Amino acid sequence: MISIMQSIIATPAGQIDQLVDIVAPTWAQFILWMPLISLVLCGLCAALKVKTKAPAIITVISLATSFVLTLMLYFGYEGAEVIHIFEWIHVHWNGGSFISDFALYIDKLTLLWMLFVTGLGTLIAVYASEYMEHDVGKGYARFFAGVSVFLFAMSCLVMGDNLLMLYLGWEGVGFASYWLIGYFYQRPAAVAAAKKAFIVNRIGDLGLALAIYLIWSTFGTIQYDGISTALAAHNNDAATFSAFGGWTVHAIPYLLMLAAFGKSAQLPLYVWLPDAMEGPTPVSALIHAATMVTAGVYLIARTYPLFQLDDYALPIVAWVGGLTALFAATIGMAQYDIKRIMAYSTVSQLGYMFLGLGVLSSYGAAYHVFTHAFFKAVLFLTCGAIMHGFAGQLDLRKLSGLRKMRGWKIVSYTMLVGCLCLAGFPFTSGYFSKDAILAEAFVTQGSGFEILGWLAIFTAGLTAYYTFRVWFRVCCGPEYYEPGDELHGDDPSSFHPHPPRVAINFVLIAIASGAIIAALPYFMDNETKGINGGWVAEMVHDSPARGGVPNAVVAVVDGEHATAHEGVANAVVDQDHATHGSILGMDPHKAMYYISGVVGMIGLGFAFFFHLARRKAADSLRNKLLASRFTRWLPIAMENKWYVDEFYIAVIRTPLWILGKLFALIDRGIIDGLLVNGIAGTPRAIAKWFSPLHNGAVQSYAVSMIGGAALVILLMMFMPEIMSFLQSTMIGATP
Amino acid sequence: MTPWLLLLIPLIGAAAIFLTKAELSKWISLGVSLFVFVISILMSVQFEQWGSMGTGLRSETSWINSMGLTLDLGADSVAMMLVLLTTLLTPLCVWGSFNAITSRRKEYYAWLLILETAMLGVFLAQDLILFYVSFELTLVPMFFLIAIYGGKNRAHASVKFFIYTFAGSLFMLAGFVYVAWQNAQTGAGGWSFAIHDLAIYASTKLSATEQGWILLALLAGFAVKIPVFPVHTWLPLAHTEAPTAGSVILAGVLLKLGTFGVYRFVLPMVPEAVVAWAPSIAILGIIGILYAALICWVQDDVKKLVAYSSVSHLGFCVLGLVALNPIGLEGAVLYMINHGLSTGALFFLIGMMYERYHTRDMNMIGGLAKRMPVWSVFMVFFVLASVGLPGLNGFVSEFMCLLGTFVSSTDAQQWPGVLGPQYAAVAAIGMVLAAMYLLIMVGKVVFGTLKEPDTTDRGSLPVDLSLREIGVLAPLAALCIWIGVQPTVLTDAMRGSVEKVLSPYPKRVKEHVEQQHSESIMLKVPESETPDKEDHHA
Repeated sequence: MISIMQSIIATPAGQIDQLVDIVAPTWAQFILWMPLISLVLCGLCAALKVKTKAPAIITVISLATSFVLTLMLYFGYEGAEVIHIFEWIHVHWNGGSFISDFALYIDKLTLLWMLFVTGLGTLIAVYASEYMEHDVGKGYARFFAGVSVFLFAMSCLVMGDNLLMLYLGWEGVGFASYWLIGYFYQRPAAVAAAKKAFIVNRIGDLGLALAIYLIWSTFGTIQYDGISTALAAHNNDAATFSAFGGWTVHAIPYLLMLAAFGKSAQLPLYVWLPDAMEGPTPVSALIHAATMVTAGVYLIARTYPLFQLDDYALPIVAWVGGLTALFAATIGMAQYDIKRIMAYSTVSQLGYMFLGLGVLSSYGAAYHVFTHAFFKAVLFLTCGAIMHGFAGQLDLRKLSGLRKMRGWKIVSYTMLVGCLCLAGFPFTSGYFSKDAILAEAFVTQGSGFEILGWLAIFTAGLTAYYTFRVWFRVCCGPEYYEPGDELHGDDPSSFHPHPPRVAINFVLIAIASGAIIAALPYFMDNETKGINGGWVAEMVHDSPARGGVPNAVVAVVDGEHATAHEGVANAVVDQDHATHGSILGMDPHKAMYYISGVVGMIGLGFAFFFHLARRKAADSLRNKLLASRFTRWLPIAMENKWYVDEFYIAVIRTPLWILGKLFALIDRGIIDGLLVNGIAGTPRAIAKWFSPLHNGAVQSYAVSMIGGAALVILLMMFMPEIMSFLQSTMIGATP
Repeated sequence: MTPWLLLLIPLIGAAAIFLTKAELSKWISLGVSLFVFVISILMSVQFEQWGSMGTGLRSETSWINSMGLTLDLGADSVAMMLVLLTTLLTPLCVWGSFNAITSRRKEYYAWLLILETAMLGVFLAQDLILFYVSFELTLVPMFFLIAIYGGKNRAHASVKFFIYTFAGSLFMLAGFVYVAWQNAQTGAGGWSFAIHDLAIYASTKLSATEQGWILLALLAGFAVKIPVFPVHTWLPLAHTEAPTAGSVILAGVLLKLGTFGVYRFVLPMVPEAVVAWAPSIAILGIIGILYAALICWVQDDVKKLVAYSSVSHLGFCVLGLVALNPIGLEGAVLYMINHGLSTGALFFLIGMMYERYHTRDMNMIGGLAKRMPVWSVFMVFFVLASVGLPGLNGFVSEFMCLLGTFVSSTDAQQWPGVLGPQYAAVAAIGMVLAAMYLLIMVGKVVFGTLKEPDTTDRGSLPVDLSLREIGVLAPLAALCIWIGVQPTVLTDAMRGSVEKVLSPYPKRVKEHVEQQHSESIMLKVPESETPDKEDHHA
């Protein structure tokens, strides 16, 4: 596998050539400014205590404008380009500089992300205009201001032309997330969750900051262009890569990984995401499912060539992703709060994306990001609609038969669409995107990728099970509900569900249609010769992540650079055929359609049996497991999320806190008390020895006077010796 | 315009306050300090040395000729920025005190103005003794501000503040006098205390050992002021006890006297010693960052928390100062300004809270967002600036200091230093800790369920911020955003001065590295070969 990686690195960076002579569309910067304008206007609404839905209207219009501008940018796209806006941090010195412009870098990877970020952002803002209407005049403006901040930061993250701009967006989305998770700021759980999200993310940000330092000291630039130029300079000879840059280039991918795992909630930093569900549901759908959490995937895709500089970086990404997918799925299976199940499923699906990146399928990862954005958004939004209608009820044991209730049909069936995609039901978008990743795990040969592939297939079964556990419980079966505790003063006995109205239903249908249509890009013809995989592959191919597009290596070799790399090209083709892996003796790309389809159906079947056909069987199974001493740990651990939070508190938080207490004591007791006050007290103590001299008796004064005079005379006699001694000790023997 | 205006107008104002009624004192001091601010703005517009290395705003006056003492004033670009910071913060402090100070008003406002003169004197002095006098003169008004208008433990705090920093600066004076004495003995011109001349003399003529002692003497004065671990313990006490304006000035300007001193004296005067000692200083800075951050975490008193956070934050500034490359040093200078703005504002905010609730205990108050939304918005904003959210000011300087530290390795091509990635990596943990303690504080005080203590007594103040209070905070917030978005304006402006300070360093570091290298070779040489070497020398 290592040799494959090296040969992929050896592909020339094509976009540098394309950069030349294109007049940059400067209006593209308004994709960024629209959310910022919306933020200012929403802030004004908050200050003026506007009691209408004006903030929602402002936000929707500005986000829709951003979306339209992104579409225009996409249709007018002619090649990667940089749009300079203003100078941000420019430090010049004699013979050098550190440059980080506020500038945009537009290639198709950027556009892919921006399309679903702004598109879903607009739709979810529409949804929120109805969802948040309880708070009109109270937190309404604050909410939409937060959404605007998020869109601004996310656009900076995706569109920035250098790593520091990415960092600006990176921390910015973290802050927006803090703002919106803590929206219900009087609820202690929400405040704690917001804080946790920001702090855990900061650990990842630390990695990103250090990576930026390393990249700058290694490459002399932090602009994507500059980095690829520097890499391209070494491209001609794949062998030089191992020697290039010393230890720094090997450390860079691990630091970037830390950042990506923090933002995208992977092991060991995933703990903030499930708690983040304390925020309003539109926020969970937009930030914590569809867009922000995919920033880590974006980061790795954007810096893909850097990951290929180290032999173990991508395999580790794959393993972390695969294990997170499995781990989060086991927790998701045992939760009762449907929003939390979706949260763990997000962690799990993000794991798939990292698995894809790790097994050299950046295309599969990006495609899964794209489909996941739609189907997970719709799943969250339906959860939100249920929560909204049943006074905060989210327990799947207390809701049943929704699809038969009046006004809940759209919710039930859009949820079904989401569930089908998530479960990887054949011919849904999730099915194709997941297969793209799974197949590649068997195609690419690397450190235990085959084991990972089987683990991921097993996880796909679990996914289908827990997904349909939700749908069969909540939407099928006999009609039954218990209201939640957010009754706003209503009497629980006279409670009636409030089915969603126009805005929510419209958005649900729109996004569910998107989730269905997201399967189509897979079948689109590729314009670029030699690559396949449809529209998303096309988008990823025009970016630094092109190394993970099916057959991209051959494609580039066929292109204009073929002559320059002829030797490498042949090697690549040979190796590609020689090392193309298989699954059970079949071509993984084809076999995976059947394997994952069957596994998904098995999971679905289990869910059908336990949660629709015989619901009591699920409880009795749980009771049986709990009854036996040997199996008791399994349901308990799964329901308690494997005690990871408790583990972190015990191993990291508490010791640090005790250390803090200890330091505070040391500061007061030893440094200030003993040292400072001790030294300050010395003169007084010395003075006490001499105070008997001042006793008022003339005789003793006479004695001390004579003694003093003697001392002075002695000093004067030995002055030269004393001076030379002082000079020799204090100043040393230097002239 | 002569820089004397900046020093004399506040003094005249202070005198005028004593001659008028107490009711007028606040208005007089506000007017005077605003006038000084306007003058300083005009001066900075005319200032010719932005971006270049020279000293502008010169005024040369002889004082005691026989001892070579002069009253020379002047400012380079970095000093000018700190002058602006001072003249901006002073009127805000005056305005912010309008409600808090009810008794002995005349003295209070007069002391504030005298303090302004002293601080400006430090930044403008071009003569060592004038610098020292101004440096010590800042203690007197501050002492009275804490001792008269402070909290319960004010007597102890003020005395400790005074003696601690005074004792430190005596060593500094000894260091200065030694340099001047040596200069007078060897030089032709007799005694001189001109900073510029002495810096050239000390950096070129003094031996490494002498430089080492001078470095320690100067640091004894400046490290206490910054404050660097372990000589920081006066600060939390002084901050907690000082009145709001005192804390703001203390954090905003007085701490910067220490870092400015390092910038103006330590770096140019004793380069050889700095190169030798930089790793140790940096390690103290890093210990300060982590140690103080953990202490912040367990504080109950909001003000003490922010005070300790100053110790932690200034650690980054210290790192930037000894990184010995332009990006680190510019980051450090920017850090001085940014810390003054954001921490100053945090102290204002805590003061505004205290004036309403008369407690700063985080266990007693909580969820103030419900009661004081405007205050809360400002609080969260300045906390984020302090945490280093990109787009705001704190991020830029923190990033530059750490980047400077990171690339300050001995094998760097252009600006070799003696630190390196390992220093930056450990210090960067402070970023995580800062987010932790500040957001926990915000989570308790601003968010959560509303908790108001029994001591609530707003007096004549409104529930949320008054227009006056918003007026105090808004300029600081605007500056935080402006510096966060356009830091290049400032870094370009300070570029010449920074490069002048750093000019001897690349050579010194290389010499230092070679020397260490040869020492290590010497150690490895077998004993039998050493006589040969001596013969060769002979």
